[in-house]
Amino acid sequence: MRSPVLPLTWHLTRSAGRRGLQSHLLAAGAAAVGSFLLLVMVAVSLGAGTRADHTTWRTPDAVPAKDATAVQVTTTTYVRQEPVTVVNLAQRPDREQTPAPPGLSGFPKPGQVYVSPALAELLHKLPAGQLADRFPKTKTYGTLGAAALASPDELVAVVGRAPGDAAVAKTAGEQNYYDDGLTKRAPVSGFADTKASVFTGADQGTVLLGVVLLVMPVVVLASAAGRLGAARREQRLAALRLAGATPRQILAMTAAESAGVGAAGALAGALAYTALLPALAALPYGVGGWYTGQLWVGLPWLAAVVAAVTALITVSAVTMLRKVATSPLGVAQQADPRRTRAIRLLLFVAVLLYIWATTGQGGQLKTQQLLALLGLFYGAFWLFGPWVVDRLGRIVGRRAKRPATLLAARRLSDDPRGAWRTVSGLVLAGFVAGFFSVSSLGSEGPSHEGQVAVITANAADARHTAAEARTALHRAGVTATVSVTSEDDFDSLLSGVDGVIADVPGGQERIDTAVTALTPLGSGRYPFTQAYVSAPDDTITARVATVSTATLVLSFLVAAASAGLTAAANVLDRRRVYGLLRLAGTPLEVLDRARVRETVIPLAVLAGGTTAMGAFGAMQLNKAAGTTINTSGAVELVICLAVGALAMLAAITASRPLLRKVTAGPAQTAD
Amino acid sequence: MSTVLAGYGLVKKYGSTTALAGVDVEVRERDSLAIMGPSGSGKSTLLHTLAGIIRPDGGQVLLRGERSEMGVPPAEGWGRIDRLGENRLSALRRKRFGFVFQFGQLLPELPAEENVALPLMLEGVPRGKAVERARRWFAPLGLEGLEGRRPGQLSGGQAQRVAIARALAVEPDVVFADEPTGALDQNTSAEVIRLLTSVTRASGAALVMVTHDADVAAHCDRVLHVRDGRISNYSQYTVA
Ligand SMILES: Nc1ncnc2c1ncn2[C@@H]1O[C@H](COP(=O)(O)OP(=O)(O)OP(=O)(O)O)[C@@H](O)[C@H]1O
Ligand SMILES: [Mg+2]
Repeated sequence: MRSPVLPLTWHLTRSAGRRGLQSHLLAAGAAAVGSFLLLVMVAVSLGAGTRADHTTWRTPDAVPAKDATAVQVTTTTYVRQEPVTVVNLAQRPDREQTPAPPGLSGFPKPGQVYVSPALAELLHKLPAGQLADRFPKTKTYGTLGAAALASPDELVAVVGRAPGDAAVAKTAGEQNYYDDGLTKRAPVSGFADTKASVFTGADQGTVLLGVVLLVMPVVVLASAAGRLGAARREQRLAALRLAGATPRQILAMTAAESAGVGAAGALAGALAYTALLPALAALPYGVGGWYTGQLWVGLPWLAAVVAAVTALITVSAVTMLRKVATSPLGVAQQADPRRTRAIRLLLFVAVLLYIWATTGQGGQLKTQQLLALLGLFYGAFWLFGPWVVDRLGRIVGRRAKRPATLLAARRLSDDPRGAWRTVSGLVLAGFVAGFFSVSSLGSEGPSHEGQVAVITANAADARHTAAEARTALHRAGVTATVSVTSEDDFDSLLSGVDGVIADVPGGQERIDTAVTALTPLGSGRYPFTQAYVSAPDDTITARVATVSTATLVLSFLVAAASAGLTAAANVLDRRRVYGLLRLAGTPLEVLDRARVRETVIPLAVLAGGTTAMGAFGAMQLNKAAGTTINTSGAVELVICLAVGALAMLAAITASRPLLRKVTAGPAQTAD
Repeated sequence: MSTVLAGYGLVKKYGSTTALAGVDVEVRERDSLAIMGPSGSGKSTLLHTLAGIIRPDGGQVLLRGERSEMGVPPAEGWGRIDRLGENRLSALRRKRFGFVFQFGQLLPELPAEENVALPLMLEGVPRGKAVERARRWFAPLGLEGLEGRRPGQLSGGQAQRVAIARALAVEPDVVFADEPTGALDQNTSAEVIRLLTSVTRASGAALVMVTHDADVAAHCDRVLHVRDGRISNYSQYTVA
């Protein structure tokens, strides 16, 4: 190694002093946070897919009758509002032995009941009359292995049945509109099925939605970290130039140094991710917590993320310095403010119109389409944001009366892209959160809480079953009003299907008892409740709510961190002019207020604006759907935004002591 | 000519280094004073002490027209400024002094006229008026037409002239300049110094300037030579 670049870099890095060390540590910290978050995002995206794959065996795909070796009926029953997936399996006597389902060592024999660990616990905890009696009586339950489960918290039972059992009969699998994804019967010859359960199928798509929104804020954070050492490097650049180093060598040194710092940070983040895997796995999403292995991204991903974060920081540091290295005085001079053109507005409007046209036609969009649209929307915002910041800077600049406002406004139109980067994460998160918190997506609609429904073959059967139901409920100690529904009676859970409805007052335990007591009357089908009917809609709504909350909170944290870093970097970059202004008697508070306003003005206008836009869009949707807005959601949103904005201000204010320190005294040349 | 600012017996120590070892200076109205001396002799320290930027360890700095602090009334109409608190000093520097530094004192995103108007706005002058008053300095300093330019779009000499306009905008009693042309070439330097001294004198302010350059010092009424924190020589020029 004959090039002096690396040894010299090492020497200079070590002798950079305390301020230098601090900025290295800060940059490495930001890199660590960035790589940690990116890894978590990758982990959850991949994990959500893996976990859904573990549920595909439950939804049977029919095979031709001549190949079938068994009958599988998968159904869902609710206890304490939680879904329990019950897989009934019956070997056909005249056929070959069916292979074992995942998580079991053999195909279950009639009467055998295997349960997931979480279900075993619940069976132990709840009285038999509320849960255990829904399954065949057995002395011991077998345990379902992890291969059969998406999450250690999932409630799943595999029940072996005799071929003639009602639970695997044709009637048990008769489909109704509300059974979609929850109950299905098919002749099978194995478990190589492809359709994920309703409870996990939407997980990955929703996570990706959040990932699309979070990636940019994390990238912004990493590049803010790259800027941190800029001021110090500029000085060193000047010194090295005098000593005869070429700009290329200087850039190489900067690249080596920032890559070293970035890689150290990114590795630390990767280590933190690895060490925290068990804790991360405990965080519930959808059906529950995770198996640790599901969240392990594997070494290639780990390496890729570390490399990407390192590259981001290096590129950002080198581009910062290149501007200086190429200017003759070795001073960052930005002669022309970077103007933004109105074409950005046009493009933005065009994209919005396009999105409006695509989504306005009604009909369901596929996840990919939705993601593509979201990506497009996001891209449009990245075009639009700097333009708005620029306009805002000019308008405020024209009107400003106080020096601090004027300084802030001029900074905005001087570098609209930089100002936009700082607030972009919050602005976009605000839009999404505004949309989802106010819209009440599918949570509306007729609700029949407290009803337990039993389907019967016809009206005559229904009357007979009603009598039995009264006896069964009485015996179980549940007071309920039992009625028979007819084909033109739509105002019940059954809405037009022949059957019996029991209105059970007195809370969840009563309902669970009623469901258990009525189970024998369903001719192989479990009685069901409101939770069953609204499961598909509720699942999507819940996933979207979780993801948008998590996205909002993480965006806030990341945005606050990058705002803080940028503010600190700005103070260091401009310490000469700030210091000289202070010497000349400019109150530090004015400079400080200007720094805060520089972020607050675009934040208030843009984040406020987009959040309102999201909320408005959601309200329009709700109006179209004839539902009311979700007021508590709106309140939560406002609180969330307020807290986030405060966190951001706190992060900016954190560099106030730094500002005081670097501008103190007449020595304005020291780092 | 009466004295407007004076330092008596000024002492400043940094650890074992004695930057000022008892200096007496008087700055008179419309006077221009150059401070010369070798590097490290204490020139900047003297300027900063007189300007209320650093506090001397010994001696007094007196400014005419300041209210006296309790217990230290040196003379009628004079105030001791070397014992003031940071906020009062800061306000004093803003109102009564102007500063021109070597480079990099203008805010890069503000147009020249707003850089000049900033100290006025800090004093509570409404923006429109402040900008209008700022513009008046552009013609005398040969800056016509550059009002809307930002510092990055100005040459080094132009930027220093804008800095001079800013120092003069508040109509200070004293302008302090620490190597104001240290970053400029010979010809530009001469022009900037000519304007600095003449426009300052015309405005009625006194000028205290640190310089290495005898040609620069020659534009001033008096030259003070500093060596090892003491005044070693004192010369007076007569300027026509
Ligand atoms: N903040 C400080 N801490 C310690 N020593 C200082 C400090 N400021 C100045 N000195 C010392 O005080 C002495 C006088 O410094 P000063 O800056 O006044 O010199 P100067 O005449 O302006 O030099 P130059 O022509 O190089 O600017 C020098 O020895 C310097 O090292
Ligand atoms: Mg000096």
